[in-house]
Amino acid sequence: MATLSHPASLNPLKQFAQAHNVLRRTSRASNPAWYQEANELAFQVHIRVDGPQIVTFYFDQKKNLWSTGPTLTEETLNDPSKIAPFANEVLRYSRSQGATALGVILHIADEFAIAELKPEFDNPAALNDLREKATLDPTSILEDSSVQADQSAWRVLPYPAAGSASIATTIALSRHYAPFFEALRLLAEQANYPIITSALSAPLVAIMGVSHAIAPGSAKPFVAILQYPWLTALAFFNEHSDLKLVRTLQHRGLRRPTNFRNALATTNASLEFVDPDLFLIPLGSNVDSALDADLRVTFANSRVEVLQFALPDGVPAWCPEPAIAAIPAATDVPHISSHTFSTLREEQWATQNFLPTPREIEEIYPTRAEMKLFRYARLSWVAMAACALLSLCYVAYSAFRLVSRPEWSFDTSAANAAKGRITKFGQEKVKANSWSNLLEDRSKAWASMEALAIMFPKDGGMLVKTYSHSAKPENASGKSTLGFSKEWKISGLARDESLDYLNQLNTREGIAAHFSEVARITGNSAYNPSGTTRNLVINVRTQENTGYKPAPIEEGHMLDDTTYPFTFDLTITQRFEGTDPLAINSAKIP
Amino acid sequence: MFHYRQSIAIFAIVVPAIVTAAVIGAGISIKSKMSTSFETKLASYKEYETGRLSALELETQVNKQRPLLEQWEAMLKQETASTVTSNLRQITEHLPPKEIQQTAFEPLEKGGFGSASAQKSSQIRIALRGTFRTMQRAFHELETRMPQLQLQDLKIDTAASQASLLNFQVTYTAWEK
Repeated sequence: MATLSHPASLNPLKQFAQAHNVLRRTSRASNPAWYQEANELAFQVHIRVDGPQIVTFYFDQKKNLWSTGPTLTEETLNDPSKIAPFANEVLRYSRSQGATALGVILHIADEFAIAELKPEFDNPAALNDLREKATLDPTSILEDSSVQADQSAWRVLPYPAAGSASIATTIALSRHYAPFFEALRLLAEQANYPIITSALSAPLVAIMGVSHAIAPGSAKPFVAILQYPWLTALAFFNEHSDLKLVRTLQHRGLRRPTNFRNALATTNASLEFVDPDLFLIPLGSNVDSALDADLRVTFANSRVEVLQFALPDGVPAWCPEPAIAAIPAATDVPHISSHTFSTLREEQWATQNFLPTPREIEEIYPTRAEMKLFRYARLSWVAMAACALLSLCYVAYSAFRLVSRPEWSFDTSAANAAKGRITKFGQEKVKANSWSNLLEDRSKAWASMEALAIMFPKDGGMLVKTYSHSAKPENASGKSTLGFSKEWKISGLARDESLDYLNQLNTREGIAAHFSEVARITGNSAYNPSGTTRNLVINVRTQENTGYKPAPIEEGHMLDDTTYPFTFDLTITQRFEGTDPLAINSAKIP
Repeated sequence: MFHYRQSIAIFAIVVPAIVTAAVIGAGISIKSKMSTSFETKLASYKEYETGRLSALELETQVNKQRPLLEQWEAMLKQETASTVTSNLRQITEHLPPKEIQQTAFEPLEKGGFGSASAQKSSQIRIALRGTFRTMQRAFHELETRMPQLQLQDLKIDTAASQASLLNFQVTYTAWEK
């Protein structure tokens, strides 16, 4: 994998590219172990360093099984360049056990230094704040201003007992195992296999484990004497089993501290402990075994007891810290209970990591929340890509459906051609219709003569003397069709028997019947009187014939004017409105 | 500290969302444009189909009318007065000479029905003497041969010299091309 840079030095695009690189090339997104603590992982390697001896154990948390770990020499521990055989072995074994991650927990038992807090921090409510400052800015809380933060790591240890001289103290460990952890982390990155490291102070873990070793029932203060090969740590508990003070005494090459009895006695006195119980806990394979006898002599009024931990198979009695540290807080059932023991376990004061991954290294990688965000975002890419693809498919399908229809490939020039044909035929039709209109049988001589002939039946007693017929269009301009009128004027002679006929003809019905008959006989629609666009009027005037000479009818000649007692004048007017089918088109024919 | 959160949010969520929205938007836009184009084409196509059917219908009608129209146009192109004279001569040849005689023929200027239309027309006045039915037959024949003749005036009165014959004076408006 390419060298990663701290994101603060990158622009947003390069930050994203780096995050994407981590997501794609590492298992950080899929393996939550990268973001867990070492003691939370299912498979762990515990390394205990007490000075003369380094022991390792494998711990399978699921099976609650402890087994002997690989050999680790002091040389390997102190020289990271020689870590490969050890690291490869633990990786191989871890993978062979089906583990997806490995927790490496270093129990440091070869040093245990105490540094006092500044008196101004003597406030129980500020404990959490102190805990954070001890990690980030230890010099701001330590009374000794000469300490060098890059050389050691400090962690706060609270004194829960009421009446303690201070609310807490700090435990200091050197950082000389940090390169070992750094080498392991680099190897983990190369192998893309989570190796999570944690460095614990073995005496702190042992103090927490005291509750599992002491038999309940004693109501006296007690002192836990943690007997390590290179140091002795003293933990002073009050009668409520709450921690009041921790002291450490270096052996300086001897099997026990030179001023041990004196230190114990003076501390008891300063804490006003009267004949406290003394619980001796040997925490090395070859520690001074005569110390308990000496204590019984020196502190005759005190109960002196060598404590033994009930440990799982595979963990020797003299190195209980791995087993104590591995007990999950939820399942921890101590023999004696106190605020101190519950606080040390639940708030993890005793299992603080002294050598965590440096913040500037940790920040190179996206956090678990960011990896989750990125992972979900990548899932959303699939959804978004699917949406986009579906959208494009829908568009393509729609386009295909449209394009495959004949209307799509329709050439608009064909429409123009059709329009041209319509125009051409339309003009031709208009022309034909116009001529048809002008050539209509609206006024014909032979039809007028037929109308005259059937108006006066043979031997009807009437003699027509004059006949005139005229037709004229209406005077109107600007109209597309013009009406017209036709007029007939007929004069003649009539006998008595014909007067009824003339009177009958001189009615609307009479003249209409006559015109209907003419239309029927001639087939000339101009004589059809029906319709609202035509108007037919008749006026018959009869008067006495001044030249009439009465004589028997049989003697009178049909053409003799004097044989007719009456004369008549008949005028018929027929009007056609401009909306009549026979109206005249006024426009010129194209 | 969340150093990557902002860049992941921008480049892994916002940018892909914008790209997706752009793709979908472009798709919708393309579809919309295609639909609009198709609607236009469809309208043109429907117009074309309607026009095509109308043209076919018109063509059928016009084809039926065309021979008649051609006949009319050929007829209307002829000079009216000479055509009437010619036709009258042909008609009277087939009728009894005693029952029909042409007594006058006079071409007139445009008037009568012709004044109502912008179409070219002329008038002719003809005087005839004959029997009623023979004259009716002659007019029927003439008006059948020349449908462009529209009767403008008709006067009938008895002939003073021959009681069996009638005097006819007829004025026609003749449509011309």
